[in-house]
Amino acid sequence: MSRQLHINVNILNAGVFGGSWRFPGTDGLASFTIEHYTSIAKKAEAAKLDAVFLADGPVVDPNIRYRPNNNLEPTTVLARIAAQTERIGLIGTLSSSYNDPVELGRRLGDLDYISGGRLGWNVVTTAGAAAARNFGRPAEPDHSLRYRRAAAFTEQVVAQWDARRDARAGFASPQGRPVVVQAGGSSDGRRLASRVGEVIFSADQDIDHARAFRTEIRSGAVHFGRRPEDIVLLPGLSTVLGSTEEEARRRREILDEVLPDAYARRRLSGQLGISLEGLSDAAPIPAELLVEPDEAGGSQTFYRVVKAIIDKENPTLGQLLRKLSGGGGHRIVVGTPEQIAVDMERWFRYGAADGFNVMPDVLPSGFDDFADQLIPELQRRGLFRWEYDATTLRGHLGLRAPAQAAVPHEAVSLEAAR
Amino acid sequence: MRRAVILDLAIGSDLSVPEAADVVVAARDAGVSAIRLLDGSAGQLLDPSTVASYLAPRLADVHWIVDAPTTHNAPYNLARRILALDRATAGRSGLVLRAGEGDEVSAAAAPDPSASGRAQRWAEYARVLTRLWESFPAGALLGDQAAGLVADDSLIRGIGHEGSFYRVAGPLDGPSSPQGRPVLAAADMDQLDWASVAGAADVVVVNRAQAPGAQGALADALGRTGRKRAEIALVGRVEVTAAEASASNVAAELDEWATSMGLDGLELRPPDGRAGALIVAQNVLPRLQSSAGASLRAALGLPELTGART
Repeated sequence: MSRQLHINVNILNAGVFGGSWRFPGTDGLASFTIEHYTSIAKKAEAAKLDAVFLADGPVVDPNIRYRPNNNLEPTTVLARIAAQTERIGLIGTLSSSYNDPVELGRRLGDLDYISGGRLGWNVVTTAGAAAARNFGRPAEPDHSLRYRRAAAFTEQVVAQWDARRDARAGFASPQGRPVVVQAGGSSDGRRLASRVGEVIFSADQDIDHARAFRTEIRSGAVHFGRRPEDIVLLPGLSTVLGSTEEEARRRREILDEVLPDAYARRRLSGQLGISLEGLSDAAPIPAELLVEPDEAGGSQTFYRVVKAIIDKENPTLGQLLRKLSGGGGHRIVVGTPEQIAVDMERWFRYGAADGFNVMPDVLPSGFDDFADQLIPELQRRGLFRWEYDATTLRGHLGLRAPAQAAVPHEAVSLEAAR
Repeated sequence: MRRAVILDLAIGSDLSVPEAADVVVAARDAGVSAIRLLDGSAGQLLDPSTVASYLAPRLADVHWIVDAPTTHNAPYNLARRILALDRATAGRSGLVLRAGEGDEVSAAAAPDPSASGRAQRWAEYARVLTRLWESFPAGALLGDQAAGLVADDSLIRGIGHEGSFYRVAGPLDGPSSPQGRPVLAAADMDQLDWASVAGAADVVVVNRAQAPGAQGALADALGRTGRKRAEIALVGRVEVTAAEASASNVAAELDEWATSMGLDGLELRPPDGRAGALIVAQNVLPRLQSSAGASLRAALGLPELTGART
């Protein structure tokens, strides 16, 4: 069988845009109910997607006034989805900085077992001082220390999972072990991806850059004794679908119109880690405010993407805010099912992606359209499965169960540098 | 007299998840007030919060109390997980916070590295949980699409906790539960003291040996906190192994014991395994007068929370 796309849906509360929750016909508070997540997951399973994906951080979003946040702990949500579905993969984001590896490894292993081998763990280091303060720390730990801990932490968890392969240990994983997902775009993050990542959730606006990134991660994997095909690269893709080009364009305009004004600036400011106070919408962000990505605090992935847009297009602040539209900096595609299918195929054939982590513009309506219109278009093109041929997440992704990990690294505390 | 009746299940190697679901159905049909999922060592028992989240959608009207220790759980993480379960079950869930040690993340940043004592840790942890659970009142959600306001964030307030074991800023990420907050239970009276428990617990579980005198000790401790006796359910826990023929004797004995000890509820620990648990669920539970209610608080006979900002 020829290679096909892998597609996850990122159930990012109300949708990826800052104004998603205000889109006409949307229940603005639906994403605070569990049914929002389980019903989208059932729809995703009917569309034969590889997995649902939940982003998360142990913190309340400071912009809760203007947009819904991720507000339900992911393993709880995924366990509930597991009970109401049979095949679809379940990927949850859980922090390596702010969990105890003994507890997390056990809980994720148990969820994987209960779900029949459908779990993936998205390892994140969790940026920001607000989250740090929920765990006794005044500020976010240094970026490289967070990543050193993430590497050691992941290996500790994986070693626990590997120990379950011994039948006497109990609750062996039906997929060998849960799939490790990783998303960091920083230098430290890329190294971690090559070393332990099996699915990489990346952020890229540019097809050549994405191809170079994929090549880098795959050759990095070889450096760590792995095969290139042991890694599946899924760039984030924000979709704005219409049955005609005009309808799609209009939908995109509405998303700008409903974006709460105060929100877009606050979010960009927070994610770049710089103040935008007093800056005019009509002029570009002054270059001296923007440091090099590796020197940025907070989320380097997002910073990198925004910096690339600024370097390439030199937009005014107003243009930049509209382009991002309160989203995560992931690529936005606007068009008919056919147009977006063509775009996805182009990235796939070019070697820029193995599939996509899809972030619909509005949930659930944007995903309903994606499942009902775009998936059949991809199936007709031979790019996506008509039926599941596996029962586990690893099976859907075409990943083999990795060999048992080497001796785990020693634990790294967030205080190691003190 | 109606009492809270709780059935314990140890789900894992001796009782699989599908087997447990059979037992829960039988217990529900027999009118059980709540199911408590015990914790144990990894590889023996499955993580209770995960199992409860998995079983809950299939058994929508069941109430769940899950065990989790302070050990290896940072309070913010456990608060989130239990609140998420409680919200997903429409206010039908609670936590038995087991006495234990710390977690790796909090320990490395402990305000007082020399702080020790399980009772002291439990009391501080419990206070953090209850405050976090009320830090984002559901009433703060506006969903005002016209004005572009999701929530009134002036009502969502950090807790600024600075203790000996923990420093937790808050607030929690999600809105409060329909029952105000998840029910919080204490169960390790061999390690905890009444003063710690009386300050924060909604339920206190005692065993046969601890039951005599528990009523008085609880009343004394409550007198110093300003809470009323009715705000806490005192539950007696017993191991039950009943053959069908002896079930009515067992039920009568339990009823008499509960009355003599001044207990508000009974917690039955059946034998491991499906067969033994089913016998208890099908024969003993129907002979006890179990209290019921929509929320877990109501099912346990607890009054509605008045202080909760919901």
